[in-house]
Amino acid sequence: MSWQPLALSLQVALSATLVSSVLGIALGALLANRRVPGRDLLDVLITTPMVLPPTVLGYYVLIGIGRRSAIGHLYERLSGSPIVFTVAGAIVAATIGSLPIVAKSARAALEAVDPTYLGAARTLGASAGRAFFTIALPLASRGVLAGVMLAFARALGDFGVTLMVAGDIPGETQTASLAIYDAIQGNREPEALGMILSLTLVAVSTLYLVNRLTGRRDAH
Amino acid sequence: MRPLALLCLCIVCCSKPAAQAPLRIAAAADLQGAFTELGKELERSTGRRVDISFGSSGLLAKQLEEGAPFDLFAAANASFVDRAVRAGACDGASKVIYARGQIVVWTPKAVAPPRTLADLSEPRFRKIALANPEHAPYGMAARQALTRAGIWSVLTPRLVYGENVQQALQFARTGNADAALVALSLALSAPEGTSMPVGLDQYQALDQALVVCTRGKATSAAREFAALLASDRGQEVLRHFGFLLDTQPGGAKTLPGTPGNEVVR
Repeated sequence: MSWQPLALSLQVALSATLVSSVLGIALGALLANRRVPGRDLLDVLITTPMVLPPTVLGYYVLIGIGRRSAIGHLYERLSGSPIVFTVAGAIVAATIGSLPIVAKSARAALEAVDPTYLGAARTLGASAGRAFFTIALPLASRGVLAGVMLAFARALGDFGVTLMVAGDIPGETQTASLAIYDAIQGNREPEALGMILSLTLVAVSTLYLVNRLTGRRDAH
Repeated sequence: MRPLALLCLCIVCCSKPAAQAPLRIAAAADLQGAFTELGKELERSTGRRVDISFGSSGLLAKQLEEGAPFDLFAAANASFVDRAVRAGACDGASKVIYARGQIVVWTPKAVAPPRTLADLSEPRFRKIALANPEHAPYGMAARQALTRAGIWSVLTPRLVYGENVQQALQFARTGNADAALVALSLALSAPEGTSMPVGLDQYQALDQALVVCTRGKATSAAREFAALLASDRGQEVLRHFGFLLDTQPGGAKTLPGTPGNEVVR
């Protein structure tokens, strides 16, 4: 069997995790700040992809970044190729599901940081940005990291949205979850067994590490 | 606890057992139009509910192998029906080839349709959608036709695969692919575009085969549905939805009252 889809999945998942982490931590910080207007609405918007059916989400993404959309059109003019049916499309598909996980975890972890520390840093002359990066983020790092790892697992396992926007092209956008699905339909599961076991192993070990990270410290 | 008990009571009361077990059909995506129509007609004449699950032939065959409780399996290619029979899920003696599917090149309104299959190699067809040729019958047929036209290797970098033929059409309907090689039966449901027929000698026949399955609860109704498909009315509906009505010699029963080799749109 070919391991190529698994390699592609790792590449897509790592890229999606990177994008989700940067955007998700920024959004989490925004949501954790009580002074941000309309943050409840923003929270709902960010969380919606977690609960929408993949078909609905995939449809929105296909229409939203498709070749007839403004974004898709602009991207195609600039780069010469559409977003849909490319690795970029697969990364967008994986990011949609993993971004809310980072944003939610980052918000919870940042809200749990005692504001006295931040107040103290500010009275000592630190800017809001410096206080965030040197005090709040390090204190929230376990929760944020757990969110990032869960986001990676989610990105690695994306199926529905990828199927709808990436076009299942072998060697280009056929990720491991799509390859496994195709193998099952083609009655070739034994070929996909390696990938099935690999994805399972990654998922289980990620969850174990997340539990270790988020478990109470006094339990160790 | 009380709301929960009420909820349970409600679920029990609301799901009254039907007078008769519904007829459960597993059908390939290309049969959506024709089977929906004929299913309704059988419901009207027998009073029995007809539930049809449309999907890719490969996935439905797999589900039958794993014990799915379907009464009838209609695939877009006879080999999938054979798979379900081999797994012991369906009765091989009931296998019938009742129609033949055909492929067309569907292009959205904004794209000038190709005159021949070979025209697809023109660079204006930047993305071309087809069902996954690894397992979807229409995808396999499309690959054969493109190979025979000598443009498969030229087109490979421009191809995108749908999970089934319905999704391949959707890629073109949403304007994300410039053309799609799909079933005529589906292309007829998308009249906003243009369909160019692909020569029947360009690909292996897409025999639409059905088989009655043994794990369902409405086997007799499944036989009635098979008889309806073979009837004049059934054949008329199939023809209306773009199927050819010649039957293949070789193993399968030939249907009564079937017109010969005719291409009907």
